[in-house]
Amino acid sequence: MSALIFIAIFGIIVLYLGFANNKAILAPIAIAGLLITMALSIKDWGVGSKYFHDMVVIDNFSIAFNVSMLIITTLIFLFGVNYYKRMEHHVAEQYALMIFALTGAFLMTSYSNLIMLFLGIEILSIPLYILAGGKKTSYRSNEASFKYFLLGSFSTAFFLFGIALVYGASSTFYLPEIKTYISQFNGHLPPMLMVGLLFILIGVSFKVAVAPFHFWSPDVYEGSPTLVTAFMATVVKTAGFAAFYRLLGMGLLPLPAPLEKTLWVMIGLSLLVGNLAALKQSNFKRLLAYSAIVHTGFMLLAMLSQHDSAGSVLLYYTFVYSLATIPLFIIFIHMKRSAKGLEDLVIFRGLYKQKPWVAVFMTILLMSLAGLPPTSGFMAKYQVFTISISQGYIAISIFAIVMAIIGVYYYFYVLREAFTDTDTPNPILITKLNAVLIVVCGVAVVLLGLFTFTIPI
Amino acid sequence: MIFLFYLLSTIMIVCALLVVFSKNPINNVIYLILCFIAMAGHYILLNAQFLAVVHIIVYTGAIMVLFLFVIMLLNLNKAIIIRKSTVTRVSAVITGGIFFLVLLAATRQTFEIHAKYPFNSEIGLVSGIGKTLFGEFLLPFEISSILFISAMVGAMMFGKKDA
Repeated sequence: MSALIFIAIFGIIVLYLGFANNKAILAPIAIAGLLITMALSIKDWGVGSKYFHDMVVIDNFSIAFNVSMLIITTLIFLFGVNYYKRMEHHVAEQYALMIFALTGAFLMTSYSNLIMLFLGIEILSIPLYILAGGKKTSYRSNEASFKYFLLGSFSTAFFLFGIALVYGASSTFYLPEIKTYISQFNGHLPPMLMVGLLFILIGVSFKVAVAPFHFWSPDVYEGSPTLVTAFMATVVKTAGFAAFYRLLGMGLLPLPAPLEKTLWVMIGLSLLVGNLAALKQSNFKRLLAYSAIVHTGFMLLAMLSQHDSAGSVLLYYTFVYSLATIPLFIIFIHMKRSAKGLEDLVIFRGLYKQKPWVAVFMTILLMSLAGLPPTSGFMAKYQVFTISISQGYIAISIFAIVMAIIGVYYYFYVLREAFTDTDTPNPILITKLNAVLIVVCGVAVVLLGLFTFTIPI
Repeated sequence: MIFLFYLLSTIMIVCALLVVFSKNPINNVIYLILCFIAMAGHYILLNAQFLAVVHIIVYTGAIMVLFLFVIMLLNLNKAIIIRKSTVTRVSAVITGGIFFLVLLAATRQTFEIHAKYPFNSEIGLVSGIGKTLFGEFLLPFEISSILFISAMVGAMMFGKKDA
């Protein structure tokens, strides 16, 4: 709880640091604040306590996810040191908004009340709507911001309607009480409750971009500033899945049959639609957006398997996915600068000739996303398939494995461009800090694959 | 009471339909205001006086006047004819129809809900709401300030001219 309070106040402090008119101090202070928050979070490990009339439940699950998101945000802020050097205005606000979004993400990992889930999703989303439009002069950034805002509020309306229907049926907002209420019907839920639960699932599915609620994500990923895209693809996805897992684990599992079938169809659609659309992409950010949709399918599969270690597998999956995605965006931004703002896959041409070590690390990162051994992406997918097969979901697991193999094609398409023997139009300039970040993430991706961790959550 | 309920509901449904079907933006906003006022009447019937007053002040008073203001500033008071392709129209009708069917089916089979809490005539008054807000719902109440400050930061970021 002290971590939540600290980070909320710290966001305001960072906002006021904008008055200092010194961009150089922002990132170090912001990172220091994140590290303090991390220490405060870890201090509560193993205690497991409830606060404010059970509104917030801080347990090992929420602490593990919070620490994972803090590490990822620290990486993004380190990346921001270089990224925001060219930006003249509102740099303090950018950092502050990301910290506010992180506050919302903390609520999403530790709620036990639907009101807190709603507030968490909103506190996470509203800074993102603003951050997506961060490049005011860019037409596509404006489009991304507006599209995200409109569709986001539309899904919020569904979510709130769902909460209202569930409250109307069960007269409670608390997940454990909703669980007790549902269990008394033995699977034959009254229609009002069923529709309410369906709407709540739609609202959360929109946030994590599961097909068929994924249409916003490629456009928003493409239009937003790259740093914000990296934040969306990693921290927001982690928070969304933590919230989804909590919703299912604390409240709804075992799901009533119609809802469970709906979710299975959604998994299949995410894997299929994401893969088929990714095959045809020529824009790197859109490619990663569709690949993210495929990854949501795998994560949802882990969650629905109802295995005891599903939470730990989900944590591992989201963490290694984020760890591989962020340096890819760093490499992308350097290639984009070298290609004078072009975002197509062709900008990677000649990377190996100019900077061989970057190309090698990019290979490792893409291999991790594709799920090839010995990277941690392989171990993450392996764990997902292990638990889903052990729970008897054979057909969907085989389908997912086939989809994972198809995915290798488009990741290697990017690699083929990187290893093409041509010259880049301009020299690629990678700052020392970013080089260190790429190497650290690349090594971590391999090491985490060799030494997988499971956390009892 | 029952008569009032049906009267308010009829006003609400008719106004809501007129919001969708009338072509003039100013009329749309006015019908929406009427719809909100009828909803405030429903709140009073449910013994939620504070909510009714806040609803009128915030929605009809502030938000809808802002709406009207924007429409007048941008001079949008001409009838808008939106042309969409047939595919869009058909798919929109099908999606909306399915959504309507689901809700209709859900409400048709509604079971009788037993009130969990005993009747309390003071439940909608300011003191009752204040006690709930600063008691059980203290954390949501306080944490929503983060929501508002980020919205304000956004308004400032988008509104300020970069020199």
